[in-house]
Amino acid sequence: MSTWLAIVGVSLVTFLLRASFIVFANPQRFPHRFRQALVFVPPAVLAAIVIPGLLMAQGQLDLTLANPRWIAGAVAMLVGFLVRKPVAIIVSGMCTLWLLQWALG
Amino acid sequence: MTPLSTPTPREEFLAGSREMAPMLIGTMPFGFVSGVAAITAGMTAFQGITLSVLSFSGIAQLITSQLIAVDSPVIVTIAAAFVVSLRFLMYSASVSPHLAHLPRRWRMLLSYVMTDQSFAAAVRHFSAPGDRHNRHWHFLGSALTLYVTWQAAVAFGVLAGASVPAAWSLDFAVVLCFIALLMPAVRSRADLAAAIVSGAVALMAAGLPYRLALVVASIAGIAAGMAIELRREASK
Repeated sequence: MSTWLAIVGVSLVTFLLRASFIVFANPQRFPHRFRQALVFVPPAVLAAIVIPGLLMAQGQLDLTLANPRWIAGAVAMLVGFLVRKPVAIIVSGMCTLWLLQWALG
Repeated sequence: MTPLSTPTPREEFLAGSREMAPMLIGTMPFGFVSGVAAITAGMTAFQGITLSVLSFSGIAQLITSQLIAVDSPVIVTIAAAFVVSLRFLMYSASVSPHLAHLPRRWRMLLSYVMTDQSFAAAVRHFSAPGDRHNRHWHFLGSALTLYVTWQAAVAFGVLAGASVPAAWSLDFAVVLCFIALLMPAVRSRADLAAAIVSGAVALMAAGLPYRLALVVASIAGIAAGMAIELRREASK
């Protein structure tokens, strides 16, 4: 039952946030500072997911070779910086990770 | 001079759909992983697919699965989904002027299917020169292409369940998808400050229960971005 409540609640929240300005409100009616702060939401939220995903393994900060994810992530970012294509980031990151996992046994 | 002819809805729709083709290589493993995550969290196949069909957001689906897996209170799960979905508020604000002329039904539909990738494509396309008459069809084409691919990938993940070898490290494709979204989102020093502070706080707060680190880190990052922005304004 609580799983269903969570599913319905999460779905409502995602829809209402998407529809907020498209359907319900005019962004011009909100304070300038509020709209300024919104710009920082994507970099902040995405970094809060990406950085621990690269630097932490099994819940611990791990910058050794035992955690190949931060190296694969660094390679993917470098490639993304040079090529600026999402596909290049995903393919280079996965291939680097597989290569490192294979090399490190 | 003859005016350029208006692209038909069909032409716009197909152009939008084609523009998403390169994104699908990231979307498919991401959807698959989201489906697997729902099952390993203890949801039934029907619950996993319902969550995906209704919320259509990989990040929200993954967070929800992770929190259901550790038996979080429902309100904590919803709050975490709210924070990771806050970026939709920004997308909604930026795209709304281009959709304001459409009937409410259209705006409801486009809201429901909007994602990070189709939002980015839509803003690019709406800002391009030329005839704008049918451009909402382009948005619908890209968004629906992602929607159909996503739901198929999630369903596949739900059915494959936990039988995927962990050695494939498919969950890492999710992190890479977020890197692909993060990099173009960092366009100024203030954006970079928001990302770095948020990432650092996420590491420091990692011990907090219910993945609250995500919430705390996001708020700290937004504050850091605003601080740099205000200082820049003050020094002008």
